[in-house]
Amino acid sequence: MRKKIAKCVLYFLLILYSVVTVMPLLIVVSSSFRTTGNMTSPLSLFIEFSLDSYKAAFTKMNYINEFINSLLTTGGSVIVIVLIATMAAYPIARIKRKSSKMLYYFFIAGLVIPAQMVIVPIAQMFGRLNIPNTRFTPMIMFITCSLPFSTFLYTGFMKGVPVEIEEVAYMEGASLWKRFSQIVFPLLKPATVSVVITQGLWIWNDYFFPMVFVTKRSQYSIPVGMIQFLGDRENPAQWNTLFAACVLCALPLILVFMVLQKQFINGIAAGAVKG
Amino acid sequence: MKKKFRGASLVMPDRMYFFVTPALVLFLVFWVYPVLQLFYYSVTNFNGVNYNYDFVGFKNYARIIQEGSLINAIKNTFIYTVIIVVGSNLLGLALAMLLNMKIIGKTVFRTMSYIPALFSAIVVGFIWSYVYMPGSGMLAALLNAVGLDGSTVNLLGNFKTALYSIAVVDIWKNVGTTMIIYLAGLQTVDESLLEAGKIDGCTEWQLIRKIKLPLISATITINVVLNVIAGLKSFDYSFIMTNGGPGKATQTLMYIIFKTAFNDQMMGKASAFSVVSFILIIAITIAMLRFMNKREVEL
Repeated sequence: MRKKIAKCVLYFLLILYSVVTVMPLLIVVSSSFRTTGNMTSPLSLFIEFSLDSYKAAFTKMNYINEFINSLLTTGGSVIVIVLIATMAAYPIARIKRKSSKMLYYFFIAGLVIPAQMVIVPIAQMFGRLNIPNTRFTPMIMFITCSLPFSTFLYTGFMKGVPVEIEEVAYMEGASLWKRFSQIVFPLLKPATVSVVITQGLWIWNDYFFPMVFVTKRSQYSIPVGMIQFLGDRENPAQWNTLFAACVLCALPLILVFMVLQKQFINGIAAGAVKG
Repeated sequence: MKKKFRGASLVMPDRMYFFVTPALVLFLVFWVYPVLQLFYYSVTNFNGVNYNYDFVGFKNYARIIQEGSLINAIKNTFIYTVIIVVGSNLLGLALAMLLNMKIIGKTVFRTMSYIPALFSAIVVGFIWSYVYMPGSGMLAALLNAVGLDGSTVNLLGNFKTALYSIAVVDIWKNVGTTMIIYLAGLQTVDESLLEAGKIDGCTEWQLIRKIKLPLISATITINVVLNVIAGLKSFDYSFIMTNGGPGKATQTLMYIIFKTAFNDQMMGKASAFSVVSFILIIAITIAMLRFMNKREVEL
């Protein structure tokens, strides 16, 4: 009997928590389907279904264009990160000497430094190297900022790959690059999944670097496109459009998450636990 | 003997270090060098654009201390960090423990608490601006619905509550991630140990305190470290939701650095803030890792 009561309390707590967490989202989704004239309390959920707000948000954001920009920069960054972070981790994990240990800590130190702090000197560096402001410029920073975590994670995983496999390959005359790309790299698949998910997630959602480095409206990614709605907060009539924009912004990742839920959960857990 | 063979490095020669080059070049050019430049700019009156600047010694540092903005920003950042570290970890751990039991609808609950972590900070900022909006926001509507006067509640506009309110937003967004990491940690706890504990007559609380918590101490360390780092980096919600206001109530270190550099065009002063932040962050990280390593061994 006591056990039953305890269980009921647990379910009650969980449901209460879920309601509190999900309520803002429900109201946002429900309001995004309303027309601007609908002044009834936002708490009466889903009483109207109109796509007006979505149409307005869709055109105002130039959604298709922004989506493509987001996709290109995120995809491109993640591919480069996987490539150069595995490469960097290879000697750090394999060479057992002080110099590799120092490199390891050197990269990790980058993990704790916030981007806002160094953004002006970085912008100057871009100027000095004559790097123009295009939709691809933020990618340089996405890659650089992802390096510490990715290298760290790959190093941890690579230490779990037995050296003996490589010793055999060496005996059979495989070159260094061949050993790396055909033996070690395929064995790191769990780490790669984790890197792609954790880094892809923050890069897709980041508005800060594109806000600083992209000047042309047509080159905005989705999150930075959202910034233009900041002023609309003052005008209650615009809220429904803003909500529709929020849903449009979050939708792609939610869909990806629904399909790859297991990989997401494992990837995030692996990223933290191995590290 | 085997160790020596590896040390001789026939299989792992030094030219392996070439593999580090691309990563190292990017890291040095776009991260390390800019950080070092901050130290240099902090003793100039550079405005970020015009390169005819003068050296002003430690004037920038003196100014940010005298104005009180440095102490204020440090204080806000610390409060914010403590709230999200305690909040996310307690809530995340409790949730993970609940979801680690045999419960119907486990995946649904897990998914729901994780969904906010998928959102961009800017979307989260908008959603919660609405929740807190005085008069017609969600909180006000809820209060009205239960018969209280919601129109007077303005959490973001109040000096005393603004910082706590944006910290809550951060917890809302990140607790799902913390929970997933705890869940992974709890799943490594050996069932037989818990069984043995039960046979010896441990209460549920003793099982948690004496068996589960010590066994997941590494996970606790990771989550605390991750949340401390996130707290020290806090910028998003001050920037999106409150603009550092009301007054200076939500100005965190990163917010004031950004504002001083971009809005006030005072790169020298912003760099002074940055240097102080840099030293603080590094000191806290090192202290934290030392402390945690020690604790883990003791447990």
